[in-house]
Amino acid sequence: MLNIKKTVENEKACFQLEGRLDTITSPELEKELVDSLDNVKELVLDFEALDYLSSAGLRVLLSTQKRMSRQGSMKLVHVNDTIMEIFEVTGFTDILTIE
Amino acid sequence: MKIIRGIKIGGLQQKIFNLMLIIILALIGVYGAVSIYQRNNLTSVVQDANDRQQIAIEEVSEETMMAVLESSMARTTALQAYIANDLFSDVGTDVKTLQAFATELFAHESDFAPHPYYEPDASKAGTPTVQMQHEEGVDPAASRDLGLVANMSEIMLSMYQNSDKLNSCFVATTDGCILFVDDRSDVYILEDGSVAYAPTVHERPWYRQAVEAGDLIFTGVETDSFSGILGLVCAAPVYRDGELVAVVGADVFLTAIDEYVQSRSSENGYLCVINGDGEVLFSPRESGVFKPALSSKAADLRESDNTELADFVKLALRERTPLSLIEIDGKYCYLTGAPMETLGWTLLSVVEKEVTDQPTAAMLSRYADINKDATALYQKGAKHAETTVLVLTAVVVLLAIMSALALAKKVVKPLEHMTRRINALSGSDQAFEMEEVYRTDDEIEILAESFASLSRKTRDYISQITRITAEKERIGTELALATRIQADMLPGIFPAFPDRKEFDIYASMDPAKEVGGDFYDFFLIDQDHLCMVIADVSGKGIPAALFMMASKIILANNAMLGKSPARILSDTNAAICSNNREEMFVTTWLGILEISTGKLTAANAGHEYPALQRPDGSFELFRDKHGLVIGAFDGVRYKEYEMHLEPGSRLFLYTDGVTEAMNTEGDLFGTDRMLDALNRQGRAHPEQILRQVTEEINSYIGGAEQFDDLTMLCLEYKGKGGNEHDD
Repeated sequence: MLNIKKTVENEKACFQLEGRLDTITSPELEKELVDSLDNVKELVLDFEALDYLSSAGLRVLLSTQKRMSRQGSMKLVHVNDTIMEIFEVTGFTDILTIE
Repeated sequence: MKIIRGIKIGGLQQKIFNLMLIIILALIGVYGAVSIYQRNNLTSVVQDANDRQQIAIEEVSEETMMAVLESSMARTTALQAYIANDLFSDVGTDVKTLQAFATELFAHESDFAPHPYYEPDASKAGTPTVQMQHEEGVDPAASRDLGLVANMSEIMLSMYQNSDKLNSCFVATTDGCILFVDDRSDVYILEDGSVAYAPTVHERPWYRQAVEAGDLIFTGVETDSFSGILGLVCAAPVYRDGELVAVVGADVFLTAIDEYVQSRSSENGYLCVINGDGEVLFSPRESGVFKPALSSKAADLRESDNTELADFVKLALRERTPLSLIEIDGKYCYLTGAPMETLGWTLLSVVEKEVTDQPTAAMLSRYADINKDATALYQKGAKHAETTVLVLTAVVVLLAIMSALALAKKVVKPLEHMTRRINALSGSDQAFEMEEVYRTDDEIEILAESFASLSRKTRDYISQITRITAEKERIGTELALATRIQADMLPGIFPAFPDRKEFDIYASMDPAKEVGGDFYDFFLIDQDHLCMVIADVSGKGIPAALFMMASKIILANNAMLGKSPARILSDTNAAICSNNREEMFVTTWLGILEISTGKLTAANAGHEYPALQRPDGSFELFRDKHGLVIGAFDGVRYKEYEMHLEPGSRLFLYTDGVTEAMNTEGDLFGTDRMLDALNRQGRAHPEQILRQVTEEINSYIGGAEQFDDLTMLCLEYKGKGGNEHDD
C-alpha cells in the first residue's frame, strides 16, 4: 500500500510517500512522476512515512534521478535508518542526494 | 397457474384483464356519480327555481293587491263613512230646527194661544199623526206648557213627512207630557182600549243626556220601547230665560244604516260600525270579534287583547286610517277605517286576506300544476335516460371484457412463445433469435430483441472466454517452462563438485512468482579458482528473469576471462548499461576463492553484506565495501577486497528475500534473526544450514504472502586437509 501526496508549485515538486514502495506500488509512483515532472527543476521526495523500499522502488528512484540530473536536481529528505541502510547496501548513497 | 378455458388464472392475461376491468368499473363509477350528481343538481335547481318563482309571485301579487286595496278600500271606506254619517247629520239638523222653534215659542209665549192636542187613536195607524202621551198620574190638562208646545204640531208633522229617516219626532214638557209624530198610533192603545202611559219622561236617556249636556246629543243605540226596533234618539233641551222648559228630539230607527251595512257586505268583504265606546253596532258578522253586541256587556274593542286591533280602532275613531293587515278571528284581514264625525263612531271596511290572495293562490296552483307536469316529464325522461345508460353500460362492459380477454391473449401469446424458446435452449452454440411472432411493436419486441442481443453477446462472450482461457493456459505452460529453463540455468546438482574435498557448496532459489529475478551461480574458473555469484534483479517476473539471464551470462563470461572481481563487475556494468532502456539494475556480490590458499577476493555492487563464520566463531555480517548496483550508471568503477578463509570457515550469501521476508504483522525477518538462525545450526553442513534457514523463514512468515525470491548460497571452506570438520 502506498499513499502519494503530491505538491507541485511552478518548478518545484514535492512527493510525500507513505507505506511500502515495492513491486506492486512502484509503477504507481513511476506514473505519477512521469506525469508531473515536465518543467520541474527541483524535486523533493519525502520518505518520512515510507516503511519499505524494494529493488523495484530503487529502480524508480534511479530512473527519476537520471531524469532530474538532466533537467534540475532531486533530493530525498527524512530518510529513516532502515531505508538508509538499503541505500548504503545498494550503493545508491553514491548517486542520490540525501538530506 | 391454473388454466381454465384457455385463460391462465394468475397469469399476465388475467392481470391485464383485471386491470382493464378495474379501469372500466372505475370509469362507470365516475360516470354514474357524475350523472347522479348532475341529476340531483338539476332537480334541485328546478326545485329552487320553482320556489323562487313562487315566492316572487306571492310577493308581487301581495304588493299589487296591497296597493290596489290601499287606494280603493281606503277611499271607499271614507266614502261609506261619509254616507253613514250623513244619515245622522240630517237628523241633527231637524232636531236643531225643532229646538230653535221651541225656544222661539217659549220666548214669545204670550203671542200664542194653546193649541189642541190628541191622544193616540188606533184608527189613525198608518197615517202620520201628532199624538200626546203622559206619565201615569199626570193630568195633561193641568200641564203648564202642553198647550204652548202643541203649536209645534204642524212643523213636527211636516218635518216627519219630509224625512224618510225619522221614526218620529217629539217635544217633551218638564211636567211629564210628550207630544210626538209617528204613524203607529195603534201600538199605544192597550188591549182594554185605554191609552198606555208614557214612560217617565225625565228618566229617559235622551232627556237626561240632553239636559246634562245642555246641547244637542245622540243617545246610544237602544231598542225602541214599543216596536222593539233598534234605534237612537237625537235630543236637545229648550230653555226660557235659563230655565229648562222642554226637550225636543227625533227618533231614528237604525234599520237604514243596518240595511246599508248589510247591503255593502259581500263574501269579499264587509262593513262594520263601531261606536265611540268601541262597541260593534252593525256588521253582517254572526260570530267573532265583529259580531254586533247591543248590550252593556258588549266588548270595548279599544281594550281588546288583540292590541293591533285595539290600536287600529282607536285610530279609526279619530281619523282615516291607512290599509292595515290585522288578524281577526284567526284570519288575516285588510282593514281601513274612517270616523263618523257626527256620532263619534267609526266605520270599518274589512276584507279577508284570503280573498285578496285568491288570484295569487290560483296563479300559484296553476303554476304548480305546470311544474308538476314538467317535473313528471323530466323524471320520465331521466328514467328513460337511466335505462338507456344501464343498457349501454352493460354493452360496454361486455365489449370491454371481450376486448380485454382478446388483448390479454394477444399480449401473452408472444411471451409464452418466448418462454418455450428460452426453455428449449441448451448448449452454448444455440442462441435465442428474433421471430415474426415477437414483432408486436411494443415492449415485447424490445424484450425479444434484448434477449436476442443478450443471447448473441453471451455466445460471443463464451467463445471469447474460451479463447482467453486457452491463451492463459498457453502462457502458464510457457511460464512453467521458463521457470524450468531458469532453474536449469543455475547449477542445481549437489554435491556440485563431488571430487573436490577442499570445499563444499550448496545453494537454493525459491522464486516468489513463477520466475524470479534472483540468481546464484558458482563455477570453477580453473582448477584453483571458484567463482561465486549472488545477485538480485530489480523487479519481478518475466522482465526480471530475462534481465537476470543476460546478467548471469555476461557475469560468467567476464569471470571466465580471468578478470578480477572488480573488473568483472565494471565490465558487466558497462555491457548492461549499453542496452538498458528499461533502466533495470541488478545487485551483485561476486567472489573468487583461491581454493588452495583460502584467499577470497570479492566485490560488491549494491548487494547485501555476506555473513561469515570463522572456524571458532559464529556467523557475523561482513561489512564490505559497496559499489553501486549494476546497470544504474555507465562507467562505475568497483573496488574489490580480499579476505582469508581459514579452513572451517563458512560463507553465507543471500538476497533481500531473506532479510525482508515479512510476517502477518508486517515485521521483517531481518539480519539479526537470520544470524540467529544460522548460528543455531552449530557446524552443520551447508545444505542443512540452508534448509533450516528456509524452514525458520517459512515458520516466521506464517500465512503471509512471500513478496521476494528467497535465494541463498552457503560455502564451507575445508582447506587442503579436506573434510576435517566434516560431520
